[in-house]
Amino acid sequence: MNHQKTVNHPDGRIVRTTSAYDCGGRCPLRLHVKGNQILRVEGDDAPEPNQLRTCLRCRAYKQYVHHPDRFLYPQKRVGKRGEGKFERISWDEAYDTFIRQLDRIKATYGNSAILLATGGGYLASLHQGGLAASRLLNQYGGYVTHYGNISSEGAVWASLTQYGSVMVGHSREDMMNSKLIILWGWDPARMISGTNTMYHLIRAKENGAKIIAIDPRYHDTAATLAHQWIPVYPGTDTAVMAAMAHVMITENLHDQQFLNTYTVGFDAFADYVLGRQDGVEKTPAWAAQISGVDADTIQTLAREYATTKPAALMDCQGPARSAMGEQYNRCASTLCAMTGNVGRPGGSAGGGLMGIPVGHMFRQSAIPPGKNPFEADGPNVKGTLDIRMRVKKRIHINTLWDAILEGTKGGYPSEIKMMWSMCNNYVNQIGNSNKADKALKELEFIAVSELFPTATARYADIIFPVTSAAERNDFTRPWPSGPYFTVINQAIEPLGECKSDLQIASELAERLGIEGFNPHSEEEWLKILFDNNPEYTTHIDDYEAFRQKGIHRIDLPEPIVAFRDQIKDPQNNPFPTPSGKIEIFSRRAADLDNPACPAIPKYLPTAEDRFDPLAEKYPLQLLTPHPRNRVHSELYLVPWLREVEEHRVWINSKDANARGISDGDPVQVFNGRGTVALPAFVTERIIPGVVAIFEGSWYDPDENGVDRGACANTLTRDAYSGGGACVMNTSLVEIKKVQGSA
Amino acid sequence: MQMGFYFDQSRCTGCCACQVACKDWHDVPAGDEKWMRVLYSEKGRFPNVFVAYLASACWHCAAPICADACPADAISKRENDGIVLVDPEKCLGKDDCGAKCLKACPYDAPQFGPEENARMHKCNFCEDRLAENKVPNCVEACPVRALDAGPMEELETKYGTGRTAEAFTWSKRTRPSVILKAKSAE
Repeated sequence: MNHQKTVNHPDGRIVRTTSAYDCGGRCPLRLHVKGNQILRVEGDDAPEPNQLRTCLRCRAYKQYVHHPDRFLYPQKRVGKRGEGKFERISWDEAYDTFIRQLDRIKATYGNSAILLATGGGYLASLHQGGLAASRLLNQYGGYVTHYGNISSEGAVWASLTQYGSVMVGHSREDMMNSKLIILWGWDPARMISGTNTMYHLIRAKENGAKIIAIDPRYHDTAATLAHQWIPVYPGTDTAVMAAMAHVMITENLHDQQFLNTYTVGFDAFADYVLGRQDGVEKTPAWAAQISGVDADTIQTLAREYATTKPAALMDCQGPARSAMGEQYNRCASTLCAMTGNVGRPGGSAGGGLMGIPVGHMFRQSAIPPGKNPFEADGPNVKGTLDIRMRVKKRIHINTLWDAILEGTKGGYPSEIKMMWSMCNNYVNQIGNSNKADKALKELEFIAVSELFPTATARYADIIFPVTSAAERNDFTRPWPSGPYFTVINQAIEPLGECKSDLQIASELAERLGIEGFNPHSEEEWLKILFDNNPEYTTHIDDYEAFRQKGIHRIDLPEPIVAFRDQIKDPQNNPFPTPSGKIEIFSRRAADLDNPACPAIPKYLPTAEDRFDPLAEKYPLQLLTPHPRNRVHSELYLVPWLREVEEHRVWINSKDANARGISDGDPVQVFNGRGTVALPAFVTERIIPGVVAIFEGSWYDPDENGVDRGACANTLTRDAYSGGGACVMNTSLVEIKKVQGSA
Repeated sequence: MQMGFYFDQSRCTGCCACQVACKDWHDVPAGDEKWMRVLYSEKGRFPNVFVAYLASACWHCAAPICADACPADAISKRENDGIVLVDPEKCLGKDDCGAKCLKACPYDAPQFGPEENARMHKCNFCEDRLAENKVPNCVEACPVRALDAGPMEELETKYGTGRTAEAFTWSKRTRPSVILKAKSAE
């Protein structure tokens, strides 16, 4: 049943809904719909100032849903693998081919040869494609899959180590209480970071807060807000933070009483900072050599942060997407504790802005996938900080291609022969796209469930066409901030012959003879998912009204402050760590006995940092920030978004001049892993020695292997840090001008 | 009565939600025809950089020079609210006329699609929305509330009479119906 609630409108009807992108925002939409066509988008109509205003991405929702390149019918490959040439087939043929291959591979190699690649391509409760397929393959006998989140793994590890929780965020309104806000690697103007985050930051500034941005780039948030920009080399943030700690300790600016009451292990960190461990004092002069931030600036920053109260140090996840990423988030959290800002209004806990504890996406109810028989004899990984345990039965997401190529002899859990991929575009979005090309050509069979001919879909043998969120009903949650709950009300009937992932999995289950796979209708599922989530049942009395309004807002008497209870009443509210305190020294981390996971946060040198000898050959550090005109690689084809910003590589005029590059020139950016071609954006907004390519542009290698789509990950490493962070922002490259078009 | 816009440049992040919302509401395909545009300025040398964005629509001037320049009388100023409207049926087309309106306009407001002898289109202040007492779609779309619209007297009461912004020059001759809050270097 189509549950949409509509009102009369001269142009048709209005559907109150939201999208399901893996976006930093989650915004109420009013879609104008006529027949089976979305005509226009309007946003939230709540009274100001509480409107949850959508960004440009959902403003272009119509062009996404109705894009002419969408897969509307099942397809089979007709060209070479990776060429992207397909021919329409029937659902019967698609299902028959898939099941024939699935059964053959299971019979020949066992279930562990089946790789299920899922992802965050659409994030909702019922239609979170990966879960329906997981449920199916679990009931089919198992499969091998991946572990880890491309974006946030560093922040997750750091927050779990330090706090025992990832709910380390304040609701954004709390920034109105801050006197100083430090944007450390955070650019919400582009990555949104919760609907209205930029608006709240602007209001905080207009309310008198001082804003300092620390970043290799003078990004749009900094350009709009910052009183001061402190350019820093990628991967060196932790050195600057350690030096700030040095200033605070030597000048006695830290809050010793706070540290005594709420933390363990500060002395060990102080020993490291003062050089009592390794003989190296982490002075501002020491950090200046590493980071490019001069010693005076570090000293002033440390004093200002330590003495302005309350102050919010807002670290994020971009700098943590690096080879020692979790150290950045842990060190940030440690500074938050040293200044007594944890658990205080207007302060912050650090830890990468993971989320606020009400209405968070992580607490969304979902279709239960069941247990994977392949993982039954694996280690118990729940809550472990030991990444080595997590990759016994799974593959770290950023080594997926290597696992296909190397199999068990490379230390991976199995020999992979086929892949079923959905809700992701991993060829594009994990490290080393050229290795993906090589790996996927090795497989015996690939099925991809998709809406668009993405870089990953191009490698499919069979395409299952999937509905967009506009074509189904669901519940969604805001990503890091809120607090509110949203509903996806179906706006149009499925286009062409598209089906939801749940429907595809259900129909496959029937053909595979798996009984009782999907006992419920969509409406029954939604009611079950609602009823089984205590957050819904606590906050929402009227299910029908929730569906009709498309949103439920939670009125908060005051902004949410992470760990407020732990700080107010520590006796009765221990932190969820083994010690019950903030663990600046983590016994669990120490027990890992892994130099890449020190027990206290430390600055560590890594491969492909700016001091790696490889920098002689590839002297520029590459950053791969969020784009503003798409959600990672989603929405890439949408024309209204494409024209907003040309895909170009940011390069400082100093580096450009040294290479004879002018603004707009065609260039190639390259290293040992690949070459991408795109125009240059010559700017003063990036620190010399660093270039930036926004992630998500679709990988498109030509006959010479030059990536004409200029996917940032053609250049990045397929590796992970000690805490499991993907290392996209630790890559060295060189850049050259080329003749003709890039 | 004169309707007009307010633009707070100090808030604008250059996200272009206004531009996309405008194209969505008026169904304008991707391409050079942009009734709302976001202009970029960058000044200074690393690390002392100044960046500003300017949202730029049609400012529905008190003295619309585009109307004077049009040989076909296709552009007119509406009496009751001062909105400047174009009748594409009357427009001779870009190639036949040489885009005299665009050449005359200090703000590049007249817009032409890619088709041969394209007729002029431009911001119409979302007149259909205005008829329903709604602000233009760009205003509602701005995530940081950098845009507002309404009768000029009301806007002046709310925001003052700012006439300067980076990359904007107030034309004495045409008297644009816009109030600005400039962005200055910190």
